[in-house]
Amino acid sequence: MSELRQIVAVILIGLGSLRSRYATAMVIVIGMASVVGVLTSMLSLTSGMTRAYYTPEDARRAVVWAGTANFDQSRSLHRDVIGTILDAPGIARGSDGAPLADAEFLMRLPTLEGFADGELNVRGLSGAGLAMRPAFRVVAGHMFQAGRRELLVGTGALRKFGLGVGGKVQLIDGDWPIVGVFTNGGDILESYLVGDADTIMAATRRHGYAQVMAQLNDAGAYAKFAAWLTENPALAVSVERKTDYDLRQVGSQSAFFTDMAYLIGAIMALGAMFGVVKIMYATVRARTREIGTLRAMGFGAAPVAASVLAEAALLGVVGALLGAALAWLVFDGREMWVWGSFRLHVSANLWALGLLWALVTSLVGGLTPALRAARLPASEALRAA
Amino acid sequence: MSGSDLQTLQIETPVFQEHETASGHTVKFLPLVWSAIWRQRTESLLTLFALTVAFTLFGAMLALNAAYEKAIADARMDRLFVTRRFDGPATLPLGYREQLARIPGVTAVGGQIWFGGHEQDVHHGILIMFVDEGMRAAWPELPLSQADWHALDAMPAGIFLTRKAAARRNARIGGIVTLNTAPGSRADGGTSWYFTVLGVVPDPPGWGQWNPDLIIANMRYWEETSDLQERNGVNTLRVAIDRPEHALAVCRAIETRFTNANPALSCVPARENAQELAEANINMRRISLGIAAAGLFMILFLCANGMAESVRERLWEFGVLKTFGYSDAGLGFLVVLEAAIPTLLAALLGAALARAVDTFIAHLAVTGVINMPEISASSAAFGWALCVALIVALVSSVAPLQRVRRMPVGAVVAGR
Repeated sequence: MSELRQIVAVILIGLGSLRSRYATAMVIVIGMASVVGVLTSMLSLTSGMTRAYYTPEDARRAVVWAGTANFDQSRSLHRDVIGTILDAPGIARGSDGAPLADAEFLMRLPTLEGFADGELNVRGLSGAGLAMRPAFRVVAGHMFQAGRRELLVGTGALRKFGLGVGGKVQLIDGDWPIVGVFTNGGDILESYLVGDADTIMAATRRHGYAQVMAQLNDAGAYAKFAAWLTENPALAVSVERKTDYDLRQVGSQSAFFTDMAYLIGAIMALGAMFGVVKIMYATVRARTREIGTLRAMGFGAAPVAASVLAEAALLGVVGALLGAALAWLVFDGREMWVWGSFRLHVSANLWALGLLWALVTSLVGGLTPALRAARLPASEALRAA
Repeated sequence: MSGSDLQTLQIETPVFQEHETASGHTVKFLPLVWSAIWRQRTESLLTLFALTVAFTLFGAMLALNAAYEKAIADARMDRLFVTRRFDGPATLPLGYREQLARIPGVTAVGGQIWFGGHEQDVHHGILIMFVDEGMRAAWPELPLSQADWHALDAMPAGIFLTRKAAARRNARIGGIVTLNTAPGSRADGGTSWYFTVLGVVPDPPGWGQWNPDLIIANMRYWEETSDLQERNGVNTLRVAIDRPEHALAVCRAIETRFTNANPALSCVPARENAQELAEANINMRRISLGIAAAGLFMILFLCANGMAESVRERLWEFGVLKTFGYSDAGLGFLVVLEAAIPTLLAALLGAALARAVDTFIAHLAVTGVINMPEISASSAAFGWALCVALIVALVSSVAPLQRVRRMPVGAVVAGR
């Protein structure tokens, strides 16, 4: 019998006897399910947050800031420089020939009564800003109009704060009615109210925008666009790829948490690995007679070791699938609010990571028992039984 | 009967002869328990390691949770934060201090203004908090002694750094910390602010959760040096009140008094503010409890399985002990002790190791963007770990004990 066939045969024999070792096998399955369940659940937060901040169009977008004031709440980009910024090369044009670039800002609103645990913000944008967001849809009420006190509420903010059409929020000049509800492909914009930037600025005596968001002709246009702006002596601006800004935003909120997820996943995997070693040693002990018989029949050491490793790996993978499935069932799609609304996402990448995590842990844990099984002398194994 | 079984029996017989002596009861059980634990040394050690790791995680998460709870509890209800109600460019006028001080229940008002720039390059940001004299009474938790306040008075360009802030910059007393800005921050047209380090002070309790570090400077220096347009304003007013239970009423009075002022004011008690921030960020308190629960589940499953396996493999031994007259209670005690010894040992080791994990987590937070409250080793964490270990031992022993209690002694001893 070839080595490969021996390996397959011994693995099948080992797996066949799993039913009689059901309880001990479950220790590996449950342990690994705990490890992968915790890891994927924690990382689903980062995954969901990333999905909320990134949009497919971001690869072709750039953000222009006033100097080092590179945050959404800034008010440092004054109206008189916007025209110059829009003259920069590489900006895509809309169907009307106007540049696809928009001066925008984010403004904090007073805390709503009864909703202390979430910050409500309004994003000021214009027609060009809406044109740059192809997923933007008004799903109830009507679109805000420039020059009027009108705001739309995103579906995330609607769910969080209970604001709907007919509701009002307070700005410094009085109440502003909400005239519509919008969606934007599930991204972070849905956590805010939106309104006409210039109207809001006039009403709140605000003098500056935070940023100009520009749609470029292609990703390659960025270098020239950035150089033109930063080297222009009439401007004191900084430029950033939109994807870099997304990364900065997600990173600032989730980097520590992601590190924590990996640290905890590693600690749990270490504990589970000791469990795997222990269980697989017990398995080898329980299968001593079987192993001795196989060796006496002429089966080699490698197939015996492979069967132990295969059993550990299989149990680990089953545990990983169970853990990831539980994380998916409990957390996937669940809405969270961390400075904005997003949905937890147990992505395919996380499933793959969980499987890999469990597989490596199981194989490392199964290694020494496999070696012990391989080194069992047939005569001794048969006598011990 | 195998050779090893006979050997076990020979060891255990004298124990049986003396086990009815009440005072020596536990002591006489110990060799039996020890031989049971040490029966499969490698596997026992592996179980201990696995349990220790799980208890380490459990302890670390409990300590993390406690640290976040403490950060909120440390934020006091008799301290109020007063800020602008509406988003706007202007700071709060310094004149508001006197008006707030006249509101019933208010005992002290202090102002603070944050001023930021960069140190050696734009990637090394720095934030300085200028505080006024009123903070002595409005924010007595600020870690400045009377001598420190005098030193600030004597040298307005002086600063005090908290330990974290000093360590991050390797700052020493007498050294200079430089803050660079864009043109327009100083009245003299300069762009660099030079501060002399007057001392290093402890990090205020709960402070680290929201800001990486704290550098305290004298507002008088700000008022004398900053651009004229920037003066006479603060970002936040801190208000101390007479009684914590008056917090909401005083806050309402402040907001009402300043409803039509420009800028209008918003007021929140410090504890509520801490709670809101905790809810707005990723909620580590809830998450840490979830992870601790997962660790606990692993511990329980591992231990229960170990005990079930141990009892199953030693049924004959229990049968013999029963034949010799051991009661179910005595055997129960034996099984519980066998489960309790490794779990208690793992709990102690795990709780000690948890401290190292928490230190590493704090390090991750400090080097990252988010900071977190100080995590301190507490006897409560050890206490919880030991309690959990005992409960796990008891729960793990239930099924094996039932098996021992119901086993047909004759058949088991006869090897059937």
